[in-house]
Amino acid sequence: MPAREGIYGLLAEFETPGDLVRAARQSYQDGWRRMDCYSPFPLEEAAEAIGFHRDKVPLVCLLGGLLGGSAMFALETWISVIAFPLNIAGRPMYSWPAFIVPAYEWTILWAGLSAAFGMLALCGLPALYHPVFNAPNFRDGATTDKFFLCLEALDPKFNAAEARAYLEAFQPVSVVEVEY
Amino acid sequence: MAYDSHAASHGKSLPANLGAPAFVDGWRSRAIQIGLIFSVIAVVLALMGQSLDPEHLGWDHFLRAWMLGLMLTFGFAVGGQALLMVQYCSGGKYGLLLRRPLEAMSGTLLLVVLYWVVPVVFMKRLYLWARYSNAQAALQAGLITQEQAHCIAFKHAMLNPADYIWAGLVCFAIWAFYNWRLNGLSLKRDTEGPERTPYWIKKFENVSGPGIVVYAVTMTLVSIYWVMSMDVTWFSTVYGLLYLVEQGFQVLAFSIIVAIALSQAEPFKTILRQTEQHDLGKLAFAFVMLNIYLNFGQFLIIWSGNLPNEINWYLDRIRGHWGVIITLDFIFHWVIPFSMLLSRDIKRNKKRLTWVCRWMIFAVAFNQFWLIEPNFKDAARNLHFSWGILEYAAVPVAMVAFWVALFCTRLKGRPLVQVNDPHLREILEPEHAHA
Repeated sequence: MPAREGIYGLLAEFETPGDLVRAARQSYQDGWRRMDCYSPFPLEEAAEAIGFHRDKVPLVCLLGGLLGGSAMFALETWISVIAFPLNIAGRPMYSWPAFIVPAYEWTILWAGLSAAFGMLALCGLPALYHPVFNAPNFRDGATTDKFFLCLEALDPKFNAAEARAYLEAFQPVSVVEVEY
Repeated sequence: MAYDSHAASHGKSLPANLGAPAFVDGWRSRAIQIGLIFSVIAVVLALMGQSLDPEHLGWDHFLRAWMLGLMLTFGFAVGGQALLMVQYCSGGKYGLLLRRPLEAMSGTLLLVVLYWVVPVVFMKRLYLWARYSNAQAALQAGLITQEQAHCIAFKHAMLNPADYIWAGLVCFAIWAFYNWRLNGLSLKRDTEGPERTPYWIKKFENVSGPGIVVYAVTMTLVSIYWVMSMDVTWFSTVYGLLYLVEQGFQVLAFSIIVAIALSQAEPFKTILRQTEQHDLGKLAFAFVMLNIYLNFGQFLIIWSGNLPNEINWYLDRIRGHWGVIITLDFIFHWVIPFSMLLSRDIKRNKKRLTWVCRWMIFAVAFNQFWLIEPNFKDAARNLHFSWGILEYAAVPVAMVAFWVALFCTRLKGRPLVQVNDPHLREILEPEHAHA
């Protein structure tokens, strides 16, 4: 865990998503890695620009679905075959066609819940504190109409003066230093 | 993109020549070659089945396999037209991409009519109700069971040769009408300017909306006549819907293959974007789900009811080694397409998506085999090898190959892109419009 003091990073504000994506793409090409984009709405291009190709949400969703489905199928089998066998219209105890529907429902349920909560967990949410909110312009506009690129101090390339000059070359609205 | 002034300058423009690329002729000649080769194989197999098999059913198997080929080509032609109409009503950029391939598919209706003449001529070999119009006499002669005799008599009002022919003719006439309407208006639309676009959008919606309903009804009717009535005792209210979904399944698979293959050259090179390819993959995935949903639903209801007049249809298709076929059908038709299309990467990869779609078309044919063959006494609850049964791998291939040849001719017949459409501008935008 790095020391939580000093500069978190430099935050550049842009007017349009296009400007943000161009700046982010250029920074990634120039070797920046510890950085992030902030936008009021999902911006796939921004994620791609800073090298976010994959996340683990699909895997979590798949595992959740498989677990949910097999758990319900196993439960039904256990009830009908071992725990409480009933003769229903002379059918076999292990009547798998009847088990499919609840197992399917549980697949959907667990896949959905895993996707939603897995996404939150993988995003590190809920987060009670994030340094970028120290910037007043971020607090005002990050959820309405402003687009931000943050170069973080953890990046080995980071040097407060050089990074500021680098960001200003993209002609952002402003570049703000963000403290932890 | 209103919020980005830079996007407009990145837009692509359509090539001057919108005709189908030259290699479509190559597809056609290869399809004709395949068709001829498999026709010869089919005839040889029929002769072998007739002489070498103990049941001597070579030509009967030829006819049954013919029904499989008929249902496949019928699915492409009429199902393609249905997807065209659905797209006119629902909108969506993927539709602009597929419009001309779908029109070419629907333009092959005449070949399907020709294919249909065969079951009309040889009706007595395919349908018990046509062979034994006097059910009581056939029962007394021990040719059919009590149940079959009862059903033949009871369903005579619908299941008789004259109505079979009439229903087919009326349905073909209706589809031909829509074919003429949609394909004619589409060319006319291209000749007019953008100021007429709102009129054309409404016009196509007004033609297609009722057309979809009419399609659902007529398609249900012929699927009952052509396939379901091979087993005169059985019925299922979801049968038409099963075929409807199957047609969506195969039509989407075929359209994706065509769109990707065409994208090797202009104009599809310009207009096929990864976004729309991905969308089509997702739509195909939806049909994979809907298909298993309906099929399993029908099975679960009949299995739960366990009634003697319904359950035999499934027993004919499960017992006597048919269980192997339905298990494979489940894997081919659902497990494989489902797991493959689940992946975003496969849906976005041209080569892999093409392979999945080819597999899906094979799975449709495999499923039809399971639906058709056990209708007959020699095969019900008794899956066994005969030379005749190999017809299922020969006749449909030949029929579909000839159909593909006609499809290629139709594809060459008009520009591949409909130009008078608001979606065209959007589809020419670069995929990363923001950057």
